[in-house]
Amino acid sequence: MEKKIGVYICSDCEIGKSLNIDSLVKVATKTKAPVVKTHPALCQKEGMDFIKNDMATEGVNAVVIAACSPRVNYDVFNLGIPLVERVNLREGVVWTHPPNNEDTQMMAEDYVRMGILKMQKMEAPEPYKVENLSKNVLIVGGGLAGITAANEAAKAGYDVFLVEKNDSLGGWMAKLYKQAPTEPPYTDLEEPLIKDLIKEIQQNQKVKIYTSSMIEKIEGGPGVYDVVVRQDGKVESFRAGAVVMAAGTIPYDATKIEHLGFGKYPNVVTNYMMEELASKGAIVRPSDSKPVKSVAFVLCAGQRDENYLPYCSATCCIESLKQAKYIRDQYPDSKVYIFYRDMRTPGHYEYFYKGIQNDAGIFLTKGDVKGITEDENKNLNIDIENTLIGEKIKVNVDLAVLATGIVPVTALGEEELPPGVKPGDEFIPYVMIETDILNLGYRQGGEVPVLINGYPDSNFICFPYETRRTGIYAAGSVRAPMDIPSTIEDATGAALKAIQCIEMTGRGEAVHPRAGDISYADFFMQKCTQCKRCTEECPFGAINEDEKANPLYNPTRCRRCAICLGACPERIISFKNYSVDMIGTMVKNIEVPPEEDEKPRAIVFACENDAYPALDMAGINRLQYNSFVRVIPLRCAGSMNLVWIADALSKGVDGILILGCQYGEDYQCHMATGSHLAKIRLSKVAETLDRLRLESGRVQMEQISISEYYKIPDILNNFMKKLEEFGPNPYKG
Amino acid sequence: MAEEVISPDLGFVRDVIKSGGESLKKCFQCATCSVVCNVTPDNKPFPRKEMIHAQWGLKDKLFSNPDIWLCHQCSDCTVYCPRGAKPGEVLNAVRKLSIQHYSIPQFLGKAVGSPSYLVLLFAVPVVVLLLLLSSLGHLSLSAIPRGEDGGISYAKFIPAIYLEIIYGGISAFAALVLVAGIFRYWKDMVAGAGEARQKMLLKGSLIPTITATIAEILTHKRFQKCDVTKARYISHMLVFYGFIALAITALWAVVYLYGYEFFGIKATSIFHFGESPYPLTDPVKWLGNAGAIALLIGGYLVIKDRVNNKEKAGRGSYFDWIFITVVFVIAVTGILTELTRLADIAILAYPVYFVHLVFVFFLFAYAPFSKMAHMIYRAVAMVFAKHAEREVERG
Repeated sequence: MEKKIGVYICSDCEIGKSLNIDSLVKVATKTKAPVVKTHPALCQKEGMDFIKNDMATEGVNAVVIAACSPRVNYDVFNLGIPLVERVNLREGVVWTHPPNNEDTQMMAEDYVRMGILKMQKMEAPEPYKVENLSKNVLIVGGGLAGITAANEAAKAGYDVFLVEKNDSLGGWMAKLYKQAPTEPPYTDLEEPLIKDLIKEIQQNQKVKIYTSSMIEKIEGGPGVYDVVVRQDGKVESFRAGAVVMAAGTIPYDATKIEHLGFGKYPNVVTNYMMEELASKGAIVRPSDSKPVKSVAFVLCAGQRDENYLPYCSATCCIESLKQAKYIRDQYPDSKVYIFYRDMRTPGHYEYFYKGIQNDAGIFLTKGDVKGITEDENKNLNIDIENTLIGEKIKVNVDLAVLATGIVPVTALGEEELPPGVKPGDEFIPYVMIETDILNLGYRQGGEVPVLINGYPDSNFICFPYETRRTGIYAAGSVRAPMDIPSTIEDATGAALKAIQCIEMTGRGEAVHPRAGDISYADFFMQKCTQCKRCTEECPFGAINEDEKANPLYNPTRCRRCAICLGACPERIISFKNYSVDMIGTMVKNIEVPPEEDEKPRAIVFACENDAYPALDMAGINRLQYNSFVRVIPLRCAGSMNLVWIADALSKGVDGILILGCQYGEDYQCHMATGSHLAKIRLSKVAETLDRLRLESGRVQMEQISISEYYKIPDILNNFMKKLEEFGPNPYKG
Repeated sequence: MAEEVISPDLGFVRDVIKSGGESLKKCFQCATCSVVCNVTPDNKPFPRKEMIHAQWGLKDKLFSNPDIWLCHQCSDCTVYCPRGAKPGEVLNAVRKLSIQHYSIPQFLGKAVGSPSYLVLLFAVPVVVLLLLLSSLGHLSLSAIPRGEDGGISYAKFIPAIYLEIIYGGISAFAALVLVAGIFRYWKDMVAGAGEARQKMLLKGSLIPTITATIAEILTHKRFQKCDVTKARYISHMLVFYGFIALAITALWAVVYLYGYEFFGIKATSIFHFGESPYPLTDPVKWLGNAGAIALLIGGYLVIKDRVNNKEKAGRGSYFDWIFITVVFVIAVTGILTELTRLADIAILAYPVYFVHLVFVFFLFAYAPFSKMAHMIYRAVAMVFAKHAEREVERG
């Protein structure tokens, strides 16, 4: 059907008072929009009826609304058609620039023109629907997290496959003697709740349990994961829609912490072994079965220590306090020492800590345990420094319990980098540890990429469950160190995310962060040079490769960030409503005044996830910034294609600023590596600039988060000042 | 510091808890207490370290440490403690255990600190005095001889010589116990002081230090530094000087009783040498009455302050309250003894005097084991701290 564009300019919210609306209408008409109209308040019922009337009577089927930011009123302006474009005259122009000003007016006119051109280049996206979509949830790991996720998914009406490596369910939690209190008054130990959960899941008809089983292969993508499970040498296949990876942890190898004597002295045990000792009834020490009357708990054993385990395992403080209670409850005359570095008992655990602390036979002190040695009676001498009692002290005990930390099973292997990437490189697209958990059929490797200490990579702040594999959600202590209640919460969340993914995939929609986006990438394969840039740079491993290195795109794995679009040197990747040509046309049609007008121009490519909202926030707060900038939102800074920069500079635009999320170690990029990729690509722009004999400072990148909106005026004004120092782009006119 | 093998005394921890330090284990060593304390030295301040020593049952570290006595239980720490660990109360409990530790025989210390022995402890003076009265034949009111002027005469009720024997005896016992206790305490403090301080202790005479300490006690300088319980400065001062006045009165009376033979002054002067009772015009009477009133008012204020500050500073232990009660009863019965005598109400006068004597006996005989001993141990600790330059003024 022929596209008929209607442009509707709203004059409410100070737009009409600050801008010459008639000029805007002229610009729109000149940009070949067949229908151009103004209205005093488009977001009101009259305004909506006004547009809908045109749709019905004049056949308008593509609507450009020049009013407020696309981030507001999106529900109001839902016209039931795919082609709706918003031109941000309110937050982006009149709220951030002086009214009735020539430069403000030019800005608005550019935005109206760009909006119409964008619409002209846009096609209506149609959702990608998979055949034989599976709504089953695969859960890998039968510990607390896996069982919880399975129960929750089943309760929500989904069939579940639960695959457990061991011959019984329950994981580490099944080995606990008691669990720390979860209910007021937070003083009494509780029976481990895992026992009931196991019973519940075993009776659940919707859950198929595979014990002593491993995942041999997972092919496909969300909605169409084809899973092969090996159980006792037999192989079974099924299809699943999404995966919850709850493979858990193992204890850190305590023998590595040599000075603490584990493995050397029989009476040095780990906190895991302590549970076994307690489960047997009378707590006796391993060497001679003597009742344990004095115990030293060494907290943070090898933890938060760069030499061993650099992080806190989150559970040991509470678990050790609990185990101290095992001893104190059994032997009232016992002495229990707890040597901690920082007692971490958040939330209600504080009550439990206070209760244990109040026991006369518990001796707590901060301190660094420097060594453990054995005396002739197989008792242990513990040397502690930096104590609160004095400097160094020594205690003699029957048993020492080391609170060794937890290591996620995703960390159990060697870190592998993509071909051609070396450790220490400025940009590392992903780190893979092949651990035999998922055995994914992904070009980038068989497991989920890891970030730090072998934990799965995810945006910890915004989307903690998300791994860098769409449809695969990490839950429980394999995702991050966590205690029992947090694990339950985590697994429940992951199960819901898995269900959400299945349902959205069924509708052809993207999951977070572009939730609901139905567009997907289109590869013009005739021009592909098999350069592998897209397959290597996709943060989500959405693109596989055939044997000739042709990209094989899996739309259900795709998060629609368009990083591939930015990566492709041949520019063969496009989305129906987002393409190199579309943005390029917008860039090329920004009006660049001649040099003598002294009106420089800069393009701001703003990431839609944080930078663009920050610009809006600046508007809401009426922060004023330079009128010479033109903001173009990008799906991700990583979707920036260098050709746009070349287009802009050759057109006479004086500079280009990319506003993206924080990259690097503590990245905030919603697409994991997008903003870092943008930075890397920019460093390659210098070459182009040299060829054009331009200062490389004309193209820059700034990192910003939404909460830093107050920095917007300074960033933009300073950038413009810098461009002024360079002088006008010699390619103007 | 050298590494030392630490072995907590679980029994001691329980004793501290039982002695009014039930909040002991709540301390998590944030050291707010040491920061807010106005009487601690800056270097290695108390009571933070005392709290963990007590939590760990390291009684030797506590006992050999003058700091537990440098604390005047202002309770500023207790008010500011974020965990409700009440360091003021805990140190008070530790001091009680310290008194019991150094004053022998230790079973008497335990008995004085425990309410279950209260009846037994009072039974001793009651029996002793009843035996005396029955041997004098003064158990019936009519049998009690009157004074020369026909009024009530306590000197006729119980001749001075008997009281001198009984009270002189228990005082001598108390003094001996205290001296022995101080001797051991000093030795422990020296042993626990570390080399540098031990050297300092050998330097110079103790006399100026003792003089300075006495001056400090007389002026109650340390009490003035308290914030929360500032009022204690007044109440403690009244009780303290009341005691001193009454002590002087008692000695003066001895001089009167045996002194006229030496001085040959007749009872007609304002100084009434001879046997009691003395007329109200006599200076000894002025001093004695003033002391009694100071003790009464001071005692009342002590009780009032403690009740008022209960929420902030803690309610105090049995050990505190038995001492306060005994002192207050002595003041009340002392005054009533005089008033009932002057009013000539024999039926009240003799029983009140009897009660008075019982309580005075209790105070004297058990002084080394009760809170009374604090005045000696604290003074000694202050001398030690001053001499070892432990007690440095805060800037």
